[in-house]
Amino acid sequence: MSFLKIASAHKAYKTPEGGLIHALDDVSLDVRNNEFLTLLGPSGCGKTTLLKCIAGFEDIDSGEISFEEQSLKGVPAHRRPFNTVFQSYALFPHLSIANNVGYGLDVTGVAKGERNKRVEEALELVGLAGFGSREPKQLSGGQQQRVALARSLVLKPRVLLLDEPLSALDRKMRENMQIELKNLQHSVGITFVFVTHDQEEALAMSDRIAVVANGKVQQLAAPTEIYDEPANEFVANFVGTSNIFSGKVVAKDGALLTIETANQRQVLATSDRFGRGDHVELVLRPEHLKLAPSGNGIPESCIDGTVEASVFVGSDLHLHVDVGKGRTAIVHHRHNRGDDGERIEAGTSVKLYYSPNAAHLIKAIGR
Amino acid sequence: MLDKILNSKIWATLFKGYGFLFLGFLYLPLGLIFVYSFNANSINMAIWTEFTFDWYLTIFGGASSQSSFDAAFTESPDRIFEVVKHSVIVALSASTVSTVIGTATAIALARYHFVGKRFYQALLVLPMIVPDIVLGIALLIFFVGAGFKLSLLTIIIGHTTFLSSYVFVVVSARLAGMDTSLEQASADLGAGPITTFRRVTLPQIMPGVVGGFLLAFIISLDDVVITYFIAGVGSQTLPLFILAMMRRGLRPQINALAVLLLLFTFVIAAIGLYLRSRKS
Ligand SMILES: Nc1ncnc2c1ncn2[C@@H]1O[C@H](COP(=O)(O)OP(=O)(O)OP(=O)(O)O)[C@@H](O)[C@H]1O
Ligand SMILES: [Mg+2]
Repeated sequence: MSFLKIASAHKAYKTPEGGLIHALDDVSLDVRNNEFLTLLGPSGCGKTTLLKCIAGFEDIDSGEISFEEQSLKGVPAHRRPFNTVFQSYALFPHLSIANNVGYGLDVTGVAKGERNKRVEEALELVGLAGFGSREPKQLSGGQQQRVALARSLVLKPRVLLLDEPLSALDRKMRENMQIELKNLQHSVGITFVFVTHDQEEALAMSDRIAVVANGKVQQLAAPTEIYDEPANEFVANFVGTSNIFSGKVVAKDGALLTIETANQRQVLATSDRFGRGDHVELVLRPEHLKLAPSGNGIPESCIDGTVEASVFVGSDLHLHVDVGKGRTAIVHHRHNRGDDGERIEAGTSVKLYYSPNAAHLIKAIGR
Repeated sequence: MLDKILNSKIWATLFKGYGFLFLGFLYLPLGLIFVYSFNANSINMAIWTEFTFDWYLTIFGGASSQSSFDAAFTESPDRIFEVVKHSVIVALSASTVSTVIGTATAIALARYHFVGKRFYQALLVLPMIVPDIVLGIALLIFFVGAGFKLSLLTIIIGHTTFLSSYVFVVVSARLAGMDTSLEQASADLGAGPITTFRRVTLPQIMPGVVGGFLLAFIISLDDVVITYFIAGVGSQTLPLFILAMMRRGLRPQINALAVLLLLFTFVIAAIGLYLRSRKS
C-alpha cells in the first residue's frame, strides 16, 4: 500500500500582471512510511507550495494527493493527519509554551490529565522541560524552533512537514539541530518531509532527497546516489560542485568508453548505459581530479591545463585550472599538514588525472 | 557659526518658551473652563469672585449656597440626568453594533478574496471623510423618506453608519500586522474555522477591537453635527443639550458639565492607551 503519494500535481499562481507561475509542474512523488525525505531546491522552485498542498492550505489545480490510498481532495487542513513546522515557527504569541504545545490536544478535546502529561513529555523530548510557563518571546530562536516541533509531535502525526525549520539558526546551532532532528525522527518513527535549500543539510539528514527545480522533481534518490549519479546537469551543479564536459562516445571496450570532448582529444569513462555515437555530458567531482597518477595500474584519463588561481580553504587547496577553450575545471586537492612547499602558483602547467570509475555520464539534452 | 547661536543658552530658553506657548495655546482654553467651573460668579463668568463647588453640586441635584445663585441659570438635575442617559445609551449601542460590523468587515476583507474588494474597501472609509453636515442631512432625508420617527434609535443607526468605518480602519490595521501563518498553524493542529477564530484570530486582534470600540464610543459621545439632524423631540443628547444651554447665555454650570465630560473622555482614552500598551 502506498503511503503518501503525489501524482502529477499541478499548481499555478496568477501574477498581478496576468501571467501564470507554474509553482508545481507535474510533480509526482512517493513518500514512504517512516522515511526522512528532503525536498531540496533553489529559492522559488515550489518547495513551500508542495508542502502547503500536502498540508491542505492550498489546493492543487490538477493531479492527485493521496494518503494510504485515500484521496485528500476536499479534505481541509484540520482533518489531515499531518502537522507542519512552519519556517517562521508560528508560535501563538498570546499563549504560554505549555499552552502552545497543548493547543492541538485542547482543540481536539483530549482530557486534562492526559493532555498535561503529553505536553510535559513532548517538552522533555525536545529538551525544554520546565519551560512550560514561559512566553514564546522569552525564548531564543532555537528554543522556539523546538517548541514548534514539540507542538506538532505531541499530536503524533503520521507525517511531519518541516519548512526550512533550521534556516533561522546560526551555523553551530543548525548543525546540532540537524543531528537532533535526525535522531528524533528515528526514535519517534514519524515520516518527515523536510524542506531545505541547503544541499549539505539535505545530504546529511535524509534517507532520500527529491531535488526540485522549476516546479519539477529532477531526481528522487538516496543522498549518495544524488551525489554520485546526478540525473541531469541541474542536479550535478546544485548538489556539490561539478566539472561538466560535453562530448561524444567514440569507442567502447566493455564498460570502458572513450569520449571525445571539445577541449581534450580523448578521455575515459565507465558506463554501461551508453554506446558508440551517443552524445553525453561527463561529470567529474573536484575531489576526483588528482595532480598525479595513482600508479596502481588502472588506466587513467589525463587532462592538461594551466592553473588560473589557487585558494587555500583549510582542508583542501582549491585549484581553478584552465583546460582550454575557456573552460575551467575545479580541483580539490587534499591538503596535508606541512605541505606548504606545494603551494601551486597561477600559470603552472598541470596534468589532471582521474579514474574512469569516478566519471559519471549523463545524457546530453537535445540530442 | 549658526550652530553656535542655535546651541547658545538664549536660544534654548527661547525654544523652550515657544514650546510652552504652544502647549498653552492648546490647553489654556481647557484650563480656563476647569478654573471657571469653580467660579461663584453666575452673572459674569469671566470675573472671578470666589471658589465654589456649587455648579457641580447643582448638576447632581444639590442646593446652592451662593448669594448670587439664581435658579434661572441652572438646569434641573433630572433633565441633565436624562440627556446623559441618552448619550450613554446611544454611545454604548452605536459603538457595540459598529464594533461587530466593523470587525466582521475587516476580517472578511483581510482574509477573503472576491470581486470588487478594492472598491468595497474605499467605500468603507468614505463615511469618515464625508463632511458631517452632509452626512447628517443625508441621514435625515433617508429617515424621513423611509418613514422613521426621529428618536434615540435613529441616532443609534446614524452613528453606526460612520462609526463602523472607524472600527473597520482600526481593526484592519491590527489584522494587517498579524501573521497569517498563525491561523494556518491553528488549522494544522486540528482546529476548525470557528475554533481558530475564537482561540487565535480574536485574541490577536482584541486590542484593535477594544481600541475601535473606545474610539467609536468617544466619537459618538460628543457628536453634535450629525446628531443635531437626526435627534427627535425627547431624544436630546448631552452635547445637544449643552449647545441649547449655550443659546441662552454662557452659564457656569456648562463649565462644570464640560469638565465632567472631559474627565469621562480622558478615562476612556486612558483605558484604550493602557490596553494598547499592554498587548503590543
Ligand atoms: N500566493 C502566491 N501567489 C502568487 N505566486 C506565488 C504564491 N506563492 C508562491 N508563489 C510563487 O510560486 C513559486 C514557488 O513558490 P514557493 O514558495 O513554493 O517557493 P520555495 O521553493 O518555497 O522558495 P523558498 O526557498 O524561497 O521558500 C515562486 O515563483 C513564487 O513566487
Ligand atoms: Mg519556501
